[in-house]
Amino acid sequence: MKPAALSFEALRDAVERLPDDRLASSRRAALAHLAEHGLPTTRNEDWKYTDLAPVIDISNRWLQRERETAPSHEREKMVEQVCRSIDADWLVICDGAIDNRFATDFEQPGISVTRLSEHGGELQFGMPLSDLNAALLQDGLRIHIAGGATPSRPVGILLIDHAATSPGMSQARIEIELEANSAASFVEYHVSSGAADHYANTVTTLRLGDNSRADCVRIQNRAGNHSQTGRLSVVSGRDSRFRHCAFDLGGKFIRNDLHVDIARPGAQVEFNGLYLAGDQQHIDNHTRADHRVGPATSTQEYRGIVAGSARGVWNGKAIVYEGADGTDASQTNHNLLLSDKAEVDAKPELEIYADDVKCSHGTTVGELDETALFYLRTRGLSEHEAKQVLTRAFAQAIVSKSPIASMHDTLADRIADRLANLLQGAGA
Amino acid sequence: MAPDPDNIESLVSRRYEHGFVTDIAADTMPPGLDEDVVRAISARKNEPEFMLEWRLRAYRQWRDMQEPAWAHVHYPPIDFEAISYFSAPMSDDDRPKSLDEVDPKLLETYDKLGIPLHERARLAGVAVDAVFDSVSVATTFKEKLSEAGIIFCPFSEAVENHPELVKKYLGTVVPQRDNFYAALNSAVFSDGSFVYVPKGVRCPMELSTYFRINAANTGQFERTLIIADEGSYVSYLEGCTAPMRDENQLHAAVVELVALDNAEIKYSTVQNWYPGDENGKGGIYNFVTKRGDCRGANSKISWTQVETGSAITWKYPSCILRGDNSVGEFYSVAVANNYQQADTGTKMIHIGRNTSSTIVSKGISAGHAQNAYRGLVRVMPQADGARNHTQCDSLLIGKKCGAHTFPYMEIRNPGAKVEHEATTSKISANQLFYCRQRGLSEEDAVNMIVNGFCKEVFKELPMEFAVEAQALLNVSLEGAVG
Repeated sequence: MKPAALSFEALRDAVERLPDDRLASSRRAALAHLAEHGLPTTRNEDWKYTDLAPVIDISNRWLQRERETAPSHEREKMVEQVCRSIDADWLVICDGAIDNRFATDFEQPGISVTRLSEHGGELQFGMPLSDLNAALLQDGLRIHIAGGATPSRPVGILLIDHAATSPGMSQARIEIELEANSAASFVEYHVSSGAADHYANTVTTLRLGDNSRADCVRIQNRAGNHSQTGRLSVVSGRDSRFRHCAFDLGGKFIRNDLHVDIARPGAQVEFNGLYLAGDQQHIDNHTRADHRVGPATSTQEYRGIVAGSARGVWNGKAIVYEGADGTDASQTNHNLLLSDKAEVDAKPELEIYADDVKCSHGTTVGELDETALFYLRTRGLSEHEAKQVLTRAFAQAIVSKSPIASMHDTLADRIADRLANLLQGAGA
Repeated sequence: MAPDPDNIESLVSRRYEHGFVTDIAADTMPPGLDEDVVRAISARKNEPEFMLEWRLRAYRQWRDMQEPAWAHVHYPPIDFEAISYFSAPMSDDDRPKSLDEVDPKLLETYDKLGIPLHERARLAGVAVDAVFDSVSVATTFKEKLSEAGIIFCPFSEAVENHPELVKKYLGTVVPQRDNFYAALNSAVFSDGSFVYVPKGVRCPMELSTYFRINAANTGQFERTLIIADEGSYVSYLEGCTAPMRDENQLHAAVVELVALDNAEIKYSTVQNWYPGDENGKGGIYNFVTKRGDCRGANSKISWTQVETGSAITWKYPSCILRGDNSVGEFYSVAVANNYQQADTGTKMIHIGRNTSSTIVSKGISAGHAQNAYRGLVRVMPQADGARNHTQCDSLLIGKKCGAHTFPYMEIRNPGAKVEHEATTSKISANQLFYCRQRGLSEEDAVNMIVNGFCKEVFKELPMEFAVEAQALLNVSLEGAVG
């Protein structure tokens, strides 16, 4: 079978139609890169389990049709709902465009938010899909945390998309920089609505100054017919700490790439994730930690609950470079399969070129423990309740690792709702 | 004084003791591969029409295939036109009927290898079907085996005498176009071993074969087919060494195992081909396809391998667990020293119900070597009650080597229980210091620690192999430590 191809003529026209601003040269360069390298196919080892055909199809249809521009009432309601439920200073990107009502002055000192088009620097686009993102980017956000600043409230970034009648596609880009000795937390929330197909593609970069701390939570709760690909690239400074927790609850076709580059010693990196997939969902998490120097620590734990005909993919990679002595890297991945048609593909990879290291990984795939279920039944719970209790407990291990404590309750509620859905679908 | 761990690297530099070439006039074809060469190989072996057709089909498929590039190994491109695809000792027409008739020079070769064939065969009760280059030259204990109804013979003999069995099973586990090297092997394979164990027979002795690569520039393309009929049991040992060579030699073998209902096959390998010198010059390219098919219910296939040789190893002995309650096992020790590169592991494909598999892989890297474990565990939707446990541990000796793990888990049945664990460690200065102060030399201490690391695998080997394997391990790591 021939891999699906992006229609380049239409893409070129779409790039030409974007405003001739300071990002224009980057867009053209990214387009040229994309034209040369194309999009990855399943023959590419990193994309073995994830075929981009569905999002290429949406992109092609979007490129060939008129766009919807009218803001919808539904969307406004969703923005309000999310912003109210989580305590943060919110920035909003709607259908790839920055919502001016939110991108205003922050009350908290030390945080400044600007548009990428104001800076005119080059956009990074070397990785798969980041070139597509740069080529079609309307505008992006730059969040800067001043040296020594420690804002108490998280910065919230809401990415919201809507596709009611015709296929939608949006690009978002966020660049975050923490200066030395600063500490900040970030919430990234992805949500969408509408009956038509939609594909969102985001690129986030995070640069950590020496001795800085960043705590991040990403929640993806898109509509069941919408797709998303996202890439987060982190560069950690000396003695910096990065904690990240990702929750994939919705969407149809999801692919997340998380790449942490440990280029300075003393870094502590922790990333965790939970994916709940049912129906025809496809959720793929690829993580990679490059240990260029030691000592440094990276730990990761991903958990998945997969039901219906869904597929959960997890690929964790740790590369320890020659001379990166004192590296401690661990990877854990646990999966619960709830139905006969569900599938889990797990691939914990270690590439080690140094000997004074501690590296380990552990992966399990299985179903709910029968004896645990039986025990709960003997205490008077129905089978359905017992399954709920056990799956919630399984998921809670990740929730409690989430670095922003104020969000734990909200997260637990969202997850409980989603799990109830999954278990219903699994016929329990 | 505590031993300096950096110093450990210098302990491992003994020269390859099996490096020599026996000077026997070999009947070798000119280099290059086309349909005529395939026809010539087939003709020289007096093969029936069906074998020629089979080879030609494989050749045509190979022509359209791409050399795989996904393995974590690096080597200059292989010129397949520069390889000679057939080499047989001159005495081919006049095969010896007993050991006494065997060319004394050949026997001398085995002596140099430390394998006194006749002694070994009699004393250890092992039947040896020794493959010298590409044609089998001596077969022992044949009568005893045939009494039990067991067929153990060179592949070419099986084609001649048991075409119905060859036709029925050849290529059913590793199809011709399975992969690039399997296709090449299917087209040009010279010889190998054939084993058939009839219903209900427990093979009275360990079967063993020694492979050697001798003539320069001759790729060795062995083909082994083992069939264990219902309720039978066979243990097969394979060990190999090769003479010292400066040019890289290609070895692309195919091993197919078929276990029917209630049958069990135990396949053990000690691989000690020339790994190249301390600077990474020379050495064997070992690109092997080994696969076992647990076709029947309650069948079991167990792979045990000790891989210390070859410049490059590309090998994944696999089990297809088709029969209900079938069992697959993979125990592996892979040692890479100097500039050796190994990308090895296994595949466990769970298809039947209540199938289980165990994977224990121990990788040791020293010098500038790269050692990768690559394994796949796949549970198909119908494989209810599948169970897998995988453990892969890496040991690093020195700062310039690499240890990698690439496990793949593809699970499509909720009843499956799949676990994977991996660790990486090194021989610590503390461990060495402790051993030294108990009076062990540094080298002995390292050997002891390494042997302890590999114990789980060694205990799966047949007795005499286990002894050989331990000695081999010590030799392989010499110069890596000290």
